[in-house]
This record gives sequence, C-alpha cells and structure tokens, in this order.
Amino acid sequence: MAAPRTARRPDPLLLLGIVFLAAVALVWSTPLAWMIVASFRPQSFGGLDMASLTPNFTPTLANWREALDSADFARLYLNTAIVCLGILTVQLVTITLAGWAFARLEFRGRAVLFYAFLLQLMLVPPILIVPNLVTITRLGLYDTLTAVMAPYFASAFGVFLMRQTFRTIPRDYEEAAIMEGAAWWQVVARVLVPLARPGLVAFSIVSVVAHWNEFLWPLMVISSTENQTLTIGLASFTQGAESASQWGVIAAGTFLVAAPLMTAFALFQRQFVNSFLFSGVK
Amino acid sequence: MHPLSKVAAATAFALSLGLGSAEAATEIEMFFPVPVEGKLAKEMQALMERFNASHPDIRAKAVYTGSYDETNLKTHAAIKAGRPPAAVIMSANFVLEYQIGDEIEALDPLIEADGKTPDAFMGQFWPALHGNARFAGKVWAVPFHNSTPLLYYNTDHFKEAGLDPSKPPETWVEWSDAAKKLTRRDGDKTTRWGLMLPSNYDYLGWTMTALDMSNGGQYYNTEYGGEVYYDQPSMRGALTFVDNLVHRDKVMPEGTTDGKVVSTAFFAGEASMVVLSTGSLSFIRENMKQGYAVAFVPANIRNAVAIGGASLMMPKGLTEEQKKASWILINWLTSPEVSGHWSRFTGYFAPNRAAYDLPEMKTFLAENPDAKVGVDQLAYARSWFATYSTVAVRKALEDEVQAVLSGKKKPLEALKAAQAKAEEIMSPYVAATAMNLPK
Repeated sequence: MAAPRTARRPDPLLLLGIVFLAAVALVWSTPLAWMIVASFRPQSFGGLDMASLTPNFTPTLANWREALDSADFARLYLNTAIVCLGILTVQLVTITLAGWAFARLEFRGRAVLFYAFLLQLMLVPPILIVPNLVTITRLGLYDTLTAVMAPYFASAFGVFLMRQTFRTIPRDYEEAAIMEGAAWWQVVARVLVPLARPGLVAFSIVSVVAHWNEFLWPLMVISSTENQTLTIGLASFTQGAESASQWGVIAAGTFLVAAPLMTAFALFQRQFVNSFLFSGVK
Repeated sequence: MHPLSKVAAATAFALSLGLGSAEAATEIEMFFPVPVEGKLAKEMQALMERFNASHPDIRAKAVYTGSYDETNLKTHAAIKAGRPPAAVIMSANFVLEYQIGDEIEALDPLIEADGKTPDAFMGQFWPALHGNARFAGKVWAVPFHNSTPLLYYNTDHFKEAGLDPSKPPETWVEWSDAAKKLTRRDGDKTTRWGLMLPSNYDYLGWTMTALDMSNGGQYYNTEYGGEVYYDQPSMRGALTFVDNLVHRDKVMPEGTTDGKVVSTAFFAGEASMVVLSTGSLSFIRENMKQGYAVAFVPANIRNAVAIGGASLMMPKGLTEEQKKASWILINWLTSPEVSGHWSRFTGYFAPNRAAYDLPEMKTFLAENPDAKVGVDQLAYARSWFATYSTVAVRKALEDEVQAVLSGKKKPLEALKAAQAKAEEIMSPYVAATAMNLPK
C-alpha cells in the first residue's frame, strides 16, 4: 500500500520548531479560550475561578441571554457588515487604480505625490476627528452609515501595497496584452488585477478586521441606535468606569462580536494561502 | 412661567393650529455616557420614552457616547462641526473647560424666565455639588447623578481579624492598623490585601483628591482654573501615606491597580478594604456573597472627599425652540422623582435633595442602610478637581503617583515633577489670565 518511504530520523530542529510554534499558539489562543469558558460561567465573582481556564461543572447560558438581550445584535451585525463591505468595495477600486498610476504611469511630480500620500500613514486618526466631522456635517451625512465609511474610501496603506505589488509583476504580461490591442483599463482589469490577487486579498483582510473593530470614529459620527455598529453596541452594555465588571457578560458579548470575523477568517485563510500558491507570480 | 404651564401653552398652540403634535415636535438630542455597569443604556432609552410620551411637543433622543472621556471628545467635535447636542451629561469637572472655551450657555436667563432666582434654583441640590455647577458668577450645569468615594469593607474579615465590624476605621492610624491586621501572607506571598485603592487613570486622580482633602488639602484652586497644589504638605502627606502602605507595611499591592481589579478582588475576598465610588454600590450589593459594610473615607485632619459624577449642560448654537425643549428635558431629568428613580437604579446619589423626601426613597433607604452612608458623607464633600485642561493636569499627577506606587520614585520628587508638569500645561491659560497684567 504505502510506498516504502525512506525512514528519516525526525529533524531535531524541526521538532524544536513545532514545540515552539505550539507554545506560541497556546499563548495566543488563551484569551480566546478564556473568553469562551468565562461566557458559560455562572456570575459568581469568586475571583479565583473567574480567571480559571477550566470550565465549570454547571455551565450557564445566562450571560449569553443577558448579552443578546442588551443590544439588537441583528441590526448591529447588519450595520457592521454594510460598513466593512462598503469600505472594502470602494477601497479595492481606488487602491487598484491609484496603485497602478503610481506603479506604471509616468507623470510629473509622481514621486512627490506618492510621498505625500505616504505621509498620511503618519497621522494618528484622532487628530482628524474634528476636520472629518466638519466635512461630514457639511455634506449632510451626519449620523449615517455612509459617514462611517467615507473617510476610509481611499487608503494610503492600500495604495502603497498595490503599487509595490504591481511593480513586482513583469511588464511582459502587459506588453503582450497591449500588442493584442488591449486598452489600459483592460490591461488593469484582465492582466494586473488577477496577478495582484494576493496583495488584494491581504489588504482586504487587514481592512475588514480594522473596520470591524473600529470604535472611536463610529462613536463620533453615529447618534441613532439604529445606526450603531457592533463595537458601540458592545461598549454600551459592557463599559463601566466606576464599577466592577460582569466578566461573563463581557465575554459572551465579545464572542458575539468576534465570532463572524473568526469564522470568516478561518474560511478565508485557505483562500489566502491558495492565492499565494496559484497566482502565478513566481 | 412654570415649565409645565409652558408645555401646556405650547401644546395648546400646536393644537390650535390643528397640527399633529408629531409634526410640531421640536427634535433634540442628548449625549449620555455610561459610567456604571448594567443595563444603563437601556434604562436611559426607557426614560426618554417616558419623557417623550409626557411631552408631545418635544422629541428627545438619547445618544450613547461611550465613556466620560469619549463623551467629552464627541461633544467638542460635534460643537465644532456645528451639530451641537441640545444637552449633554458631562463629567461634572469638565464643565469648566466648556465655560472657558465659551461653548456652553449660562443657564441664569432660563432659570429667571421660570420665575426663579439662581440661588433658589441651586438650592434644590446638595451644597457639595454647587462648586462644579455654578462658578464665575453664573450657573453652567445642573447636577444629574453624583458620587463620592466610599470605604467598603468585608465584615467577615473584620471579625476574623478581631476587629469590630460595627466600628470601621475613622482615622488614618486606625485605617493602617486595620489594614495590617487584615493582611494575610503565605511566606513571601500575600494571599489577602488589607487595603486596595483604584489607581488607573481618572480613578487615581479622584482617590488622591480624597486622601489629600482628608489630610486638610484642597488639591486645586476652586476659584481659579490655573492653580493646583500638588507639592504642598497635605498632598505630600497623602502620597507618603500611600507609599508606606505599599512599600513599608506591604498591606497594599505594588503598581497600578485598575478599579475593576479592585472590585473583583473585593468580591473574591482577596482584599478586605477597598475605596470605590458610591456608583458601585448597587452592583456590590447585588453580587457580594460575604458580609460587607460601607463607611466614610477615614480622615487624618478632617473628613473630606471630592464629589464625582455628571451634570447636564447646554451647548451654544441651538435654536430658541431647541433651547426651550432642552431646558424642559434638563429640569425633568433632575426633578426629585426622576432623580430618585435613577439613583435607585444606578447607585449614584440623587443630587436633588427633595428626592429623599419621596416615599419610594424613604422605603429604599430603610431597606438599604448602606445607601444612606453615601448621602451622609455628602455633608463633608467638596467640589471636584476642575482646571484649565483638566485631564492633562490630572494626568500629570497620576503619572507621578503611579511611579511612586511601582517603587520608581519617592513621594517628594514625584510631586515636584507633577507640579512642574501641571504648571507647564496650564501656562497658556495663566499667561492669558492671572499673569495678564497692565502694561
């Protein structure tokens, strides 16, 4: 049955590597494991068992009931999904076109413009809250989901990433397409974008995670409960400066917020790896 | 005119025009932070529904705005963007900055339009709350929910350590003696701390204010926002006291202890005495399994603590209708009935004194005598630290106190550094005010 394999002695370095990675994975998954365990733990304030990773013998759903009861999660999920996908859709278009322009087009002041673009990466977002809010209000977008999305439609990081990705693609492909009579937009859409897929996928993950978790800007620009995103909904029942914490409810709520992202990431990761393997950029 | 008759008049006017009240309703927004645990955001929405149902000509919307600091940020941003909310529940010590920045309305004209004097109006509220609401000659805010720090102690531990649970420590000597008796060690490891104080940002400033004031200090100049007294004997004594508890007596944990850790340790029986806000009282009452009691913060020179909590203020830039509607909402939220209801729900004390004359409140206090301690301590409470750039000036002290708590600095050098930093932060304001002299 099995082909006779050359009996190889396990490489000690490889073993060490596996042990090390397992240890890292354990450390990284501890908060997650705690969150799941704590969310089923009865509200005890036992302190000692609160920090424990071992589940209780009598798990309870009370924390989940309270978390679900504390906010309109269906609405929060929908709003957050709209915001993340809305931002991503526009970003994919803008960063592809801008990245292409910086990578391939020759124009006066290209370098200066590019560095000016990169400077945006240095700005701490809270500095822009007031100017952005003024603009949003003038546009009549205050308290809308569009307002949550608008400041992120262009991404300096994305443009930088796409420029670098495009520059790694040999010009031969484009030249062949041009020889066949393709227009510039056909070159971008049919040749460059498929070849740059790993870059786009990587950017998409970063973008969705960032905006899914974003708190401050949505809090600034949203006033109605109907327009709240997940992070704000979560904070509205778990944040308390002057009192103790209901850790179980916080754990359950946090799990509800993180679950879709974790699921999507687990599914997406395969695609992510595949896109690196088969994209043909070698 | 009485607010109610105003409402009646406005309603009558709307009806006389034959308009549906929904169309004539003035829409207003109120920003509110969630400073305590529980379904407070939901309760606030329920309150708004009650208000709207009883005031058909106003449609008020409560907007959740995060913590006190985030609410401050959002309010500043919204005012600058030209979308001021009609009312904000603002951390009581941030109001001064809005007054300095000319961003809020003085409430005196509205009070006088109701036929009251500002003195009579403020007279509704506990005297300790006046300083953060009425200053620079005018009324700028209306107290909404307030707190003071309290000493919570585990009565089971007291009995076990041979202390009388009905006699909580009243002086710092008794306090540190009790802490020593209550601390349990297992070799080098402390298994139970005699005392824990919250020392995360914001809470630490408040804790230090309480100790400084109990040591005869004033912390800041209540009349002028450009002065603090960080390196004075009262504060030096307070910080040395804390430093001794941590490093000499080892009855308090070293380093920065978050307020949430403090309350969790108290529930777990890992801390025998803690200082926490009255705002935590409902939560502790519902969840504490062992016996507990509350007491005044012990005194070295005198009993004194600073108030905490939030007040309602009205940003500038509203229409006349919005101003009127906002004023009706503010008065409704601070009325004895609503104030009392909110107090029982949250654990904060009701700023409106008349709330305690209502039968529901009398029954509640009879059933929960611990809630009365916070109210009694009010007689010794003082204004809350408020200066130009309050948060940064407070942080100047907190950073240095944290350095002492973690053993990196000694009290005197830490407080000198804190004072210098605070003065640097306030220097633009000082230059424009107290040092702005005839040329």
